Amino acid sequence: MRQLGLGLAMAAAGLAMALQTARADEELPIGVIAAQSGSFVSAGNTIVGAANLAAQQINDAGGIKVGDKTYKIKLYIRDNRTDVNVTIAAARELVNDIGVKAIWGTETHDFSVSMAKITGPAKVLQFSGNSSLGAVLDDKAVAEDGWLHYTFQSEPQEWQRSGSTAKGVLSLLTPQLKSPPKHSVVFVGNDATGQYLSSHYVKALEAEGQKVDLVQYPPDTTDFSPLLTRIKGMKPDIVHFWYNGDSTLTAFPQALKLGVAPSYFLFGVDPGIYRERSLKADVPVTMSCVPVCWGSSPYPEVKQYFDKYFGLGAAKGPQSSVSLLYYDYFFWYAKALEKVGKIDDPDAVVAELLKSDYKGVVSPVPLVFNKHHQVTFATEVCMVEPNTSDKFKCAVEQPPAAPPPGDNGG
Amino acid sequence: MDIFVQQLVNSLSVASVTILIGIGITLIFGLAGIVNFAHGEFLMVGGMATWFMVGAGMNFFVALVLAGLLVGALGFAAERCLFRFTLNRPMNGFIMSIGLSVILQHAVIRVFNEFQKSITDPVGLVWTIGGVDIIAMRAIVVAVTAVIVAITYFGISRSRYGMALRASVSDRDTAELMGIPVRRYVTGVFIYGSLLAGIGGALMISLFPITPFTGSVIIIRGFAVSLIGGLGNVGGAVVGGLVLGLVDGLSAGYGYPEWTDAYSLVVMILILVLRPQGLLGGTLGPKAS
Repeated sequence: MRQLGLGLAMAAAGLAMALQTARADEELPIGVIAAQSGSFVSAGNTIVGAANLAAQQINDAGGIKVGDKTYKIKLYIRDNRTDVNVTIAAARELVNDIGVKAIWGTETHDFSVSMAKITGPAKVLQFSGNSSLGAVLDDKAVAEDGWLHYTFQSEPQEWQRSGSTAKGVLSLLTPQLKSPPKHSVVFVGNDATGQYLSSHYVKALEAEGQKVDLVQYPPDTTDFSPLLTRIKGMKPDIVHFWYNGDSTLTAFPQALKLGVAPSYFLFGVDPGIYRERSLKADVPVTMSCVPVCWGSSPYPEVKQYFDKYFGLGAAKGPQSSVSLLYYDYFFWYAKALEKVGKIDDPDAVVAELLKSDYKGVVSPVPLVFNKHHQVTFATEVCMVEPNTSDKFKCAVEQPPAAPPPGDNGG
Repeated sequence: MDIFVQQLVNSLSVASVTILIGIGITLIFGLAGIVNFAHGEFLMVGGMATWFMVGAGMNFFVALVLAGLLVGALGFAAERCLFRFTLNRPMNGFIMSIGLSVILQHAVIRVFNEFQKSITDPVGLVWTIGGVDIIAMRAIVVAVTAVIVAITYFGISRSRYGMALRASVSDRDTAELMGIPVRRYVTGVFIYGSLLAGIGGALMISLFPITPFTGSVIIIRGFAVSLIGGLGNVGGAVVGGLVLGLVDGLSAGYGYPEWTDAYSLVVMILILVLRPQGLLGGTLGPKAS
């Protein structure tokens, strides 16, 4: 009988220790909604890659100390299948059934806005890397009772990115051309994102003194030769392949064969991809990444980041750098939770994010959210030497102070 | 004028790959009665296989033949394991083919990844004739397509096999009573159509990159070509491909470029309203017992 009593006491002590250990490592549920299948999979997988890396690093470093408890991040990753209805269903499940405290994602403006209609009323923070969110993030929307109070835009406003990109492209190409470029053609996919982004980029180029023609192509175009022949007839100084890196990688080699222009700009094409595909042009070519290139980064922190990111098995693609629109914000959010001292006070976390800054990987200057919950950082633009695939000259351009004439911001 | 001629040259190469996939669709539906929505994915698999083989150091033209054979084998497996059970229920086959297309897309993503794949231009030459740039590989694609069209056309219209096939389409029961192994012919047509899709994929990746989702885009044009020309009519597929190619090339050059896809589909709708059987007339599918 005495032995039984001793056994029970030991079991109780063991259970108490186990409970204490469990309490010491509580779970912080965070949702990730991204396209792991469907046509946006190229961008979607980068969000998952960034989330896995950040969560692993935070947990390996001991977790997040909030008050007297330590939390380990538990990711709940959902594939939205590039479908807005699946996105909404996933957001509902994560918010209502699992009870996540924050959600990272997703790839496009309309998907993110749909998610915000669910995360907002539930007071769940949302970090989305869509520059087009600027169209809806205004004073009223982000107010305490606004529907986007808990939504944060982890990519700069489009007029800022367009402005720094236009300036960087022209400053790199002008010395390479026989005469200063005057006529640009912006070549862009005719979808909602393409229309929104190009409207800012055209104005940014015009602010730099360019005469700009906009040529839009149907999404999913694979044979660009008729459209490129049309552009050739316009006799441009620069053709700017805007927005969709995958489409650009299809169209650009065709443009080279047809000799469409004396210089080019490729948006969203990483120098790493240019090198891996052994692309070569006998004319100057510039390119920029969203937000910092993995193939030719000026910052050691970025190089280290991508070594770890690819080390986890992420594929090297034209959009791999998009992962950096999501990575830093895990650490910033963790810092805000530690400061607030509670995980169940989203209003205090929002207030803390708005008054704090964070020095992350994506920018050498600490990140700060403005009053509309948007960050600002510079754009990296690179130029490849003609007839080479791997000799890059890169420059980091700061965004302009104000939108160009005719651009109402957003 | 140079630009106009350039657009005409572009139109020919635009049309070529579409003609190949259109012929595959037109044969499989027109002669076997199977609406295979995964036909575009068969083309994608052919392109991916070519990318893999060329990446491993194989000559492009050898890879092209092997890609055709590989996708022909894939077609054989699909017909034997799936579609032959739906011959009397075409709607089941259609839905099944949509499922197959999604499975093939994600199988390719699993085996490789989701990123687009490309190969270096196997020829790498551009001929400039009278101010018009002719990309040599595009000219080869046009030539290969022309040879395949000729072989298919004469095979269907002149050979004993072709005559038996056409008899099967006209009256399956009588053809079977006459000793024609209709089931085996259906399998043969499916394999041949799939083989053409594999070759089309190989030719396509020689011109521009492909992704696991390329097939779902190209299939719409393939069906448009088949319907414009007349389902089951090889000559019709060629005419349909040329019509679409010209509309694409000239509308992109001189119309609203963002509406390029819409122009060709409007032409398809008009033709189907005015000539429901297609420009050259089709079989409207086999007459099942």
